Amino acid sequence: MVKQLGFLLNVNRCLGCGACAKACQNKNQLPPLLRWRQVRMVEKLSIDHIQKFYLSTACNHCGNPECLRVCPAGAYAKRRDGIVLHFSEKCTGCKSCVASCPFGAPQINPQTNKATKCQLCYERLDQGMSPSCVQACLTGALELKEVRDIPVNQLLRLTAPVPSLRLTRPSVFYKPPRETKV
Amino acid sequence: MKLHHNICPRNCYDTCSIVSTTSNGVLISVEGNPHHEYTSGKLCSKALDDVKKVYSPQRVRYPMRQRGRYSGFWERITWDEALGLISEKILSLKEQYGTSLPLALNKYSGNFGILHNAMEGLFTGIGATTRAVGSPCWSAGVEAQTLDFGTYFCSDPLDMAQAKLIWLWGVNPVWTAVHQMPIIFDAIDHGAKVVCFDTHFSATAARSHQFIQVRPGTDGLLALGFAKVLLEENLMDPNLSDYTAGCEEFIHYLETKISLSHCSEVTGVPMSTIRELALEYGQTNPACIWAGFGLQRYTNGGQTLRAIDALGAFAGHLGKQGGGVQYAQFETWRFSGEISGDKPSSDKINSMDRNLNINRFSDEALSCTDPPVKMLWISGRNPLSQDGNLQRWKKLINQLDLIVVSDLFHSKSSEAADIFLPVTTHYEHWDVNAGYWHYWVGVNEPAISPVGESRSDLQIAWDVSSQLNHLTPGSCTFPTSGNEKETLLRELGPQMLEILGLENPEDILKGPVRAKFSRTAWENRTFATPTGRYEFFSTQAANAQLPPLPIFVPPLSPSINTPLRLLTPHHHSTINSQAYALDTRKTDFILYLAPELAQLYDLVAGDRAQIRNEFGQLNVIVHPEFGFSTDIVVIFQEQVDANFPLNRLLGTPSTDMGQITLGAPGFALNETFVNLRKL
Ligand code: SF4
Ligand code: SF4
Ligand code: SF4
Repeated sequence: MVKQLGFLLNVNRCLGCGACAKACQNKNQLPPLLRWRQVRMVEKLSIDHIQKFYLSTACNHCGNPECLRVCPAGAYAKRRDGIVLHFSEKCTGCKSCVASCPFGAPQINPQTNKATKCQLCYERLDQGMSPSCVQACLTGALELKEVRDIPVNQLLRLTAPVPSLRLTRPSVFYKPPRETKV
Repeated sequence: MKLHHNICPRNCYDTCSIVSTTSNGVLISVEGNPHHEYTSGKLCSKALDDVKKVYSPQRVRYPMRQRGRYSGFWERITWDEALGLISEKILSLKEQYGTSLPLALNKYSGNFGILHNAMEGLFTGIGATTRAVGSPCWSAGVEAQTLDFGTYFCSDPLDMAQAKLIWLWGVNPVWTAVHQMPIIFDAIDHGAKVVCFDTHFSATAARSHQFIQVRPGTDGLLALGFAKVLLEENLMDPNLSDYTAGCEEFIHYLETKISLSHCSEVTGVPMSTIRELALEYGQTNPACIWAGFGLQRYTNGGQTLRAIDALGAFAGHLGKQGGGVQYAQFETWRFSGEISGDKPSSDKINSMDRNLNINRFSDEALSCTDPPVKMLWISGRNPLSQDGNLQRWKKLINQLDLIVVSDLFHSKSSEAADIFLPVTTHYEHWDVNAGYWHYWVGVNEPAISPVGESRSDLQIAWDVSSQLNHLTPGSCTFPTSGNEKETLLRELGPQMLEILGLENPEDILKGPVRAKFSRTAWENRTFATPTGRYEFFSTQAANAQLPPLPIFVPPLSPSINTPLRLLTPHHHSTINSQAYALDTRKTDFILYLAPELAQLYDLVAGDRAQIRNEFGQLNVIVHPEFGFSTDIVVIFQEQVDANFPLNRLLGTPSTDMGQITLGAPGFALNETFVNLRKL
């Protein structure tokens, strides 16, 4: 693999505003119930501190994509820049990828009965633009980076309550969240 | 594909510059304008729904007439019929009563574009009429700052990036002013500390270093407590005597009337925290306070803001880059006023107007008997969803001959209307808009032709005037036709051109312009007050029967029957009743409360409960959450398809200030009390 693009989320700048998710929906003309990018809240309380932050997540364009490995129809491919693509022409709607992805990224489009997921706005990238979600982010919290350029010692991998994390090597990192003193 | 300049006209701090794209006359996308220094190419998620909103199937496309109010039986009529019905009514009322005072206009901030003042212009052209005056929003704060500084003027929001300490007080920019957040984050990256003061742990509190929970309505006392610490520690600005008035009196008040233990007891903030924060505020330079609209929506709201202003002045943070007490500004709104009919040169027909407090409109309209109010035009507003005193509104509706609502969608207010006039969105008409927080002014150009038969407020005003003059020549002095673009350019009179540094009005057509004010408010510490100084002691206040000093006046207290304070702050998905989230409509109001309070009422998450008071009751779903104090319950203003609107619980308590500056006090919305019971 020549490159690996990935998302970097500075959770201390993320407002949970959902502009990224809405821009994704608009750009990709997704039906109302389908969201390739989602924002979820994480909260941890201690006696005198609250840690409350948002994670804006989409497909992680894993280094070692499980979706690609399990898809019997060969509907997945990984580009030389690391983008994991799904080709709906080849997809039979068998849902293997949906079941195998530890992050719930591929979802069945109720209108086509086929899997769909974030394609990292590759047409935009190919024209030198940033992905719609990154473009829409008001605070610069969400960025797209070449993951090998990120100084990994200051970053956390996107966590998920699953053991297969190390297996797939998701290309998503976030800055450690700050706490609020109360 | 064509690009067009637009401006978000909603009542929001950000007033974003938009670039819209059309293809074959169809709006296909909207994005932020990268050449706008404040909004820098980004839009909030509300505006990202604009394309869907413009073409929404729910949008009303034709003039409609309702057969029986509240019947929902709307039939399409032509513009000619609508204009005919309206004009005939206007003329017959004038004839019957010998005056146009039975005609009332209730308009506010549904679209803040200057050309929307055509509605005021139309009414002025008809003669002396009944008007809603004042503001449901910021009156108390505006007046407090006017007493202290001489006018309300804030630093350029980018100035906040220079601060080393930022206090976000009663403001929730993460939800209501998103474009300020990158500026605050940049300040944090440069080492600034951010403290958030609020009644509950807001989304902004979650992005701050420290959260201070203040008991509702006691912020003024907290500010005075901080000032007391500055006094004790001798941390006040040594140069106060050079540029302030009444400092001695203020010090005397702090010495004799403010005790930290009492302050701590009332505000709920521990004494040690008060001391720590005050020292930090006194010793950090520059330190900035952003006082939000939330903390002045109390019966003591103006006094609260005056106390916060006084704290800023006392510490010497006024007029300093990255410092000050920021609230809002109106200096970039010096349009010629020609369209609204209040051009200084015009012979003031509207000085005969009957002005009613917008927040007590129904009550005051009902008490008008000579002559009574008989026709009501609601424009850019949805009072039946936002105003208090709904029972009085019902009564008023019953006495009216004709109710006209102009809007984009049906609303709680249009349910009571006889005629609905469909209006254009800001993608379909010319306009000019200014911010009340940042200093940018710009033109909104039509990107598409009006959807359906919708018309702009200006076009509607021309059409009504034309019809009136057709029926009775000379009955309305408002123009009967014109050119929208030229009308807007005329609003950029000599004063605005100077403020914007433009030679010709046409120069604004190229793109939004920043007014030429310095980045820092009150930079030279010359104030616009009668004394030219910052006034701790205000004679103007005394003359208006208000306390001359920023003393603490307690807010209202709950009663035994209604022991909980209901707060209804803005939600990130809406601005008041303006609805945006087209696909996420809710069917229930969610009541947020402290887990301990829920327990006390034997409630768990998801339970159905009822809140009630003397005005009405509302069913809610209970949602206990950390970060709420036990004396409040909170319902965020979201779009909810419930049978009853949230405002059915509201009375119309007034704020202490607003009369001098805006002609009416504000709405002390946060002085609403309720009882809670499980269903
Ligand atoms: S996250 Fe899931 S869908 Fe995305 S690349 Fe990895 S395995 Fe595939
Ligand atoms: S990269 Fe494109 S497709 Fe993927 S989440 Fe962002 S906007 Fe959606
Ligand atoms: S747009 Fe940016 S700030 Fe808003 S939720 Fe997405 S990542 Fe967070």
